[in-house]
Amino acid sequence: MTREDYIKALKSALLSLPASDIADICGDFEEHFSIGLSQGKTEHEISAELGDPSVVAATYFDEDLANIGHTMSESAFHAAATAATSGTAANTNGTTAAASAATAAGISGAALYAGQPAGTASVAAASVAPKEKDLTGARLFVIFLNILVTWWVAITIVSTLVSFWGVTISLVIGGIGAFIAMVGQAGDWITLLALCGVGAILLGIATGILNFFLCKWTVIGTRSYIKWNKKVYNEGF
Amino acid sequence: MNVQFKKGVLDLCVLSMLKESDQYGYELANTLSEIIQISDGTVYPILRKLATDGMVTTYLQESQSGPPRKYYKLTGLGKKTLISLQQEWLTFSRSVNQIVGGDVK
Repeated sequence: MTREDYIKALKSALLSLPASDIADICGDFEEHFSIGLSQGKTEHEISAELGDPSVVAATYFDEDLANIGHTMSESAFHAAATAATSGTAANTNGTTAAASAATAAGISGAALYAGQPAGTASVAAASVAPKEKDLTGARLFVIFLNILVTWWVAITIVSTLVSFWGVTISLVIGGIGAFIAMVGQAGDWITLLALCGVGAILLGIATGILNFFLCKWTVIGTRSYIKWNKKVYNEGF
Repeated sequence: MNVQFKKGVLDLCVLSMLKESDQYGYELANTLSEIIQISDGTVYPILRKLATDGMVTTYLQESQSGPPRKYYKLTGLGKKTLISLQQEWLTFSRSVNQIVGGDVK
């Protein structure tokens, strides 16, 4: 991976952070690349040593990492240590998807204290709690929006698209039909049928292209709608 | 090396490495990745968290080759944390060694 690709991948994985944080973090990695290059390494070598950018990015979102200060507490340390020695899986207790992604990739920096048993996990939770937003309102909004509005809008859109495709298909079939009907006819009839046939098929193709774009836009719109739903559901407004 | 072992000691390692002298990210990443086989990129999130938690501060310093480097320096809180973590680690690792070495039945 080139330096540019690496930074780009990192940036896109960090998108939900404030812009100043992203710039700061990317600055660290730009510096790392510059120093590595000045020591004769290639961009690809440096990228490989840095590790998967999405895994590195996930580490920044790890809540357990945020509680590094709590390692000072005797009980937390011993509890974590006990969990580690007894072979408890690291990601059993309330770890984020980001943390497990990092764990799965075998990068150890991520879930630093992910193995905390319930007792210490609550310590961590308590210290994080004031930062958490109340998401009940946002979640109810998403649920009711989907039941009351989105569902019906979706049905309307889908059935409209289906009927548009019906128009396209029948125009094309009609056009072909006109050509078939030409068999055994003579004179003016042939001209009339040919005109009708060509016209219908051209119209069918035109509506087909239009439908294609309508479908495409619907898919794009649906995707961003789902994304927005997820964001509101998980992070609030 | 077992991934589980590395967890929980990375911050201790970073703090320990900063005890003698201030270092920049590349240096820390290189040393750490060589000794305990983590990927270089993992060191930066740890450094950032340590900075957020007030364990380290950063400053920029010009270098003879390349751009200015961001150096990391232990704060008073960082030094205190390091001392208590060190003690905890030594006690803990000794206990584990006893068990692993078969002295405890």
